[in-house]
Amino acid sequence: MRVPLFRLGLLLVVLAVWEVAGRAANPLLAVPPSSVLPALRDLLLLRSYPELPASLWLTLREIGAAYLLAVGAGLGGGFMLGMHRLIGRAWGPMLAALYAVPAVVWYPSLMLFFGLDAASKIAFGFLLGFFPITLAVLAGVRQVNPHLVTVARAYGAGTVTVFRRVMLPSMLFTLVGGLRTGLALCVIGVIVGEILGSKAGMGALINHAYGLLRTSDYVALVLVTLVLVVGSDVLASLLERRARRWSE
Amino acid sequence: MTAARGALIAIEAVTKRYLTSSGPVEALHDVSFSVGEGEFCTLIGPSGCGKSTLLGMLGGLVAPDQGCLLVDGQPVTGPDPRRVATVFQDAGLFPWRTALENVEFGLELQGVPAARRRRIAGELLGPLGLSGFADKYPRELSGGMKQRVAIGRALAIDAKILLMDEPFGALDEQTRVLMGEWLLDIWRRTRKTVIFVTHSLHEALFLSTRVAVMTARPGRIKSVLELAMEYPRSMESPEMAAVRAKLWREIREESLRAMR
Repeated sequence: MRVPLFRLGLLLVVLAVWEVAGRAANPLLAVPPSSVLPALRDLLLLRSYPELPASLWLTLREIGAAYLLAVGAGLGGGFMLGMHRLIGRAWGPMLAALYAVPAVVWYPSLMLFFGLDAASKIAFGFLLGFFPITLAVLAGVRQVNPHLVTVARAYGAGTVTVFRRVMLPSMLFTLVGGLRTGLALCVIGVIVGEILGSKAGMGALINHAYGLLRTSDYVALVLVTLVLVVGSDVLASLLERRARRWSE
Repeated sequence: MTAARGALIAIEAVTKRYLTSSGPVEALHDVSFSVGEGEFCTLIGPSGCGKSTLLGMLGGLVAPDQGCLLVDGQPVTGPDPRRVATVFQDAGLFPWRTALENVEFGLELQGVPAARRRRIAGELLGPLGLSGFADKYPRELSGGMKQRVAIGRALAIDAKILLMDEPFGALDEQTRVLMGEWLLDIWRRTRKTVIFVTHSLHEALFLSTRVAVMTARPGRIKSVLELAMEYPRSMESPEMAAVRAKLWREIREESLRAMR
């Protein structure tokens, strides 16, 4: 009971500080919550941006596509690197080094390759989400205690059974953690991609409002996007908890 | 030398080499040996003499370079849990499974229905001294308990042959002696054929019907001692003292060679 109260308290303090600071600042640059609320209402009633549902839906689809690709390639790549010693030792460090490069430097070329539409956003979301998933699978495979594999083989387990009964449960926490991080990064990739250059989607709306100095609309749009991001992470954490229960 | 025909386990002229960074190393050289049904046969010898390799071959986990191994008259080509169950030095319990679920593991792989394997595993926990620990996870168990769960996992599949690779090697001396007494009791009740690898003279003398002493690398069978003393054995009897002295002489010689 006390945790939610404290959380609420912090939220109120932040809003109060924001209100005071927002009133004092230039209204073109900063807006207090009191003027965001009407903007949010107009937004949700589809007065200011009637294309909101279509944009949200587009962004969600882009995230979904980017995440599916990232999961597929991440699992495939991670298992290949993890199970094949030579490939893992040759390419694993390269992958980790690439992960350290700020991915946004690739975005201009992605736009050149894939254009201004959804494809370049999906590609960027994929690029961000792919690395943590691959590296988590790789780390997970290396976590598997080889002795447990020997024990399972002695009791008659073949490759598939070893994978299902030994490898998967051994690496589950790492794997699920990687899948969760991957989702968060896919969401970021798609939205950043949209902000950097696009004609539709939540990022395009944010860019539009911001560019026209419609600051309260801009903040309202950011809040809606925030709900999307937090919502996807809550979903992922629920799945993580389920996986934990399954493994026990 | 050919192993006796008709024995439950026959090891015939087995040789095994490993490739290491400093060239090939011969772990076993022309080993022949056989074990009859119901025996408790101990392999003892210096570190690195290939005892574990030999056990791995019987379990179907390691393939010989030359020679062959027969179990029940059939060549060993891979793990065969219907005939052979293995207990390792490291208990190797699955940390995400409870004690009971670990005991059930082999039955599960054999497709035994859940209710039946639960019953079989549950009935084993009593004699294992683990009643009340069915739902504990390995991290909640002591070293001796873990090893008993591992032995339970091996007993559950009810294979004729039990291979034990230094199962008590990681335990403290007192626990080790008690586990030996406990294992003796289990063996006398189940009449399994046991092949037991150990470094401990005490274990070998206390448990075995036969002790095979192996030479330093490359491992061969140096000598075989039949132990006819009644169970449970007194470690203080003059007969035991004589056997002990003889066994120690054999092992000491090989251990010295292994150290050089």
